[in-house]
Amino acid sequence: MPFLELSGLTKRFGDVTAVDDFSLAVEKGEFVSLLGPSGCGKTTTLQMIAGFEQPSSGHITLNGRRLDEVPARQRGLGIVFQTYALFPHMTVEENVAFGLEMRGIGRQDRKRKVAAALDLVHLSNLSARYPRAMSGGQRQRVALARALVIEPELLLLDEPLSNLDAKLREEMQLELRRIQQEAGVTTLLVTHDQNEAMALSDRVAVMHHGRLMQEETPFHVYENPKSSFISTFLGKTNSLAATVVKTDEAGSVLACNGMELKGPAAHHLPGPVTLSLRPERIEIVEENEAVLSGTVIERIFLGDQWLFRIETPLGPLLVVRRNRGLREPEHGEAVHLAWTPEHLRVLPAEEGAA
Amino acid sequence: MRHNGPFAKIFSVVFAAFMLAPLVVVIGVSFTPEGFLEFPPSAISLRWFRAILDNPDFIEAAWISLKLGVASATVSSVLAVPAALAIGRGRFAGRDALQALFLSPLTVPTVVLGIAFLRFLTVFGANGTFAGLMFCHAIIIMPFILRLVLASVTGLDRSTEQAAVSLGASDWTVFRRVTLPAILPGVIGGWVLAFITSFDELTVTVFIVSPTTTTLPVRLFSHITQTTDPLVASISTVAILFTVGLMFLVDRIYGLDRLLIGEGSR
Repeated sequence: MPFLELSGLTKRFGDVTAVDDFSLAVEKGEFVSLLGPSGCGKTTTLQMIAGFEQPSSGHITLNGRRLDEVPARQRGLGIVFQTYALFPHMTVEENVAFGLEMRGIGRQDRKRKVAAALDLVHLSNLSARYPRAMSGGQRQRVALARALVIEPELLLLDEPLSNLDAKLREEMQLELRRIQQEAGVTTLLVTHDQNEAMALSDRVAVMHHGRLMQEETPFHVYENPKSSFISTFLGKTNSLAATVVKTDEAGSVLACNGMELKGPAAHHLPGPVTLSLRPERIEIVEENEAVLSGTVIERIFLGDQWLFRIETPLGPLLVVRRNRGLREPEHGEAVHLAWTPEHLRVLPAEEGAA
Repeated sequence: MRHNGPFAKIFSVVFAAFMLAPLVVVIGVSFTPEGFLEFPPSAISLRWFRAILDNPDFIEAAWISLKLGVASATVSSVLAVPAALAIGRGRFAGRDALQALFLSPLTVPTVVLGIAFLRFLTVFGANGTFAGLMFCHAIIIMPFILRLVLASVTGLDRSTEQAAVSLGASDWTVFRRVTLPAILPGVIGGWVLAFITSFDELTVTVFIVSPTTTTLPVRLFSHITQTTDPLVASISTVAILFTVGLMFLVDRIYGLDRLLIGEGSR
């Protein structure tokens, strides 16, 4: 039996179904992300687990007990909010001690546990500060310490890094992962940031329109997205409308914008599909090896890599190349592109695929 | 930031002049050695300040006003906080009507209120009592407190309370340890404004006072309807200084901007 189990969780607000028959199983100690665009129902799901929203139907089980029948204050979950939600009139130490105080833990034990929690997040020297005198990253750590000090069975993180600037966010990702593993606490992260979800989690659950779309390891979801929505949401990709002409074990033939492309064996019957081709899988090659040719219409230098937009008979394609310190094709230059057919993903056709 | 044009500057100067000129005149008059209202005073004298001490009925009235202000502002605050929490975050039918009701003392003409309170208190046999007076004042000053508390309730981060709940706090603990401290600037600001409003309320009060509950404004009013000596000016000067001192204290403790504008920056 899984440690945390959401089954058939549904939440309706009037006519709107925010979360639709959502089921998910999380093992003890696992770090799972709920990933999706804003309005996909991920925050509502978190609110239901926390007990701030009542499910319209379905249930939540944690460690063998029904969680949805317990009031929020008795669930004993650690929650880190997007705004950190620190108590502004209390010092760091008082903030972290609050949950212990509510549990009636004595002064001595409280002091010891607060010190241990602050040590875990590397903030021992700031325990007498007020939150307003701290940076975003430090507040984030206080919020984590406050949530972890009560030794929760489940840690809920609601977009915890979205208020930090890019550099700090990367640092905190590593930090968060370290803290979660040291504490060994089962964690559910809610985020719209695919990088955050991929970097932190053991498994990613992609949500869209209140439904669970795919739930696997980050690598698996990135490599084998089940839909063109997921392929565009996780990482960059080139989405192409195409038609399966024929398919067998050896591979398939796909018609795309008047060209015939070789692809992997497709499970879809002959008919319209969406192709997904990751920009880093397209190579710039010599003319005799090329699948097709095109012209550079845009190129952006990103430090460790180059991003090209190339006009081709298939339409504009994004191409990413590692920066090897060599000259790269310039704007207006003709280039020849190739890729291995296995790197094409044949996905169900979706309307409005970009 | 845009600079003000000449029209705005003239307006500001004229506005300030109209606000301050009466105060300057009153304070000037209070220092006159003469027995009539004279401005500018021909000499500086504390004669009329000494005269206050010879009029114990004024001191008595000032005490009543002080007690009345403290009591009614406190009662009104205790009622305004739950009202603001309900109106500020509740989603229930009649919410706007309830808010309009609480703010209505601002819109109902004070003379009408005065007559209504007089009838009401007479029916309940509470006419002329301190308690009756206090409840009437509590109603009149309610909008001042409610507006400020409502502003801080609206600016409250709901997740702070949710954090407290998730850590195991009961509703009452959440209110006492998290919500109240967060809206306290609004409550104190509202209390001070309400106190000052009660302290100089005349129009309604004049209908419902008795000889034993005469407030300072009512006492001053009846005094100048009979005589016009500079005693009223010296008492007013003391009242002005008291108010300025109160504002100064509040500014030092909390910051006046933050109080009057509501949610301020720290």
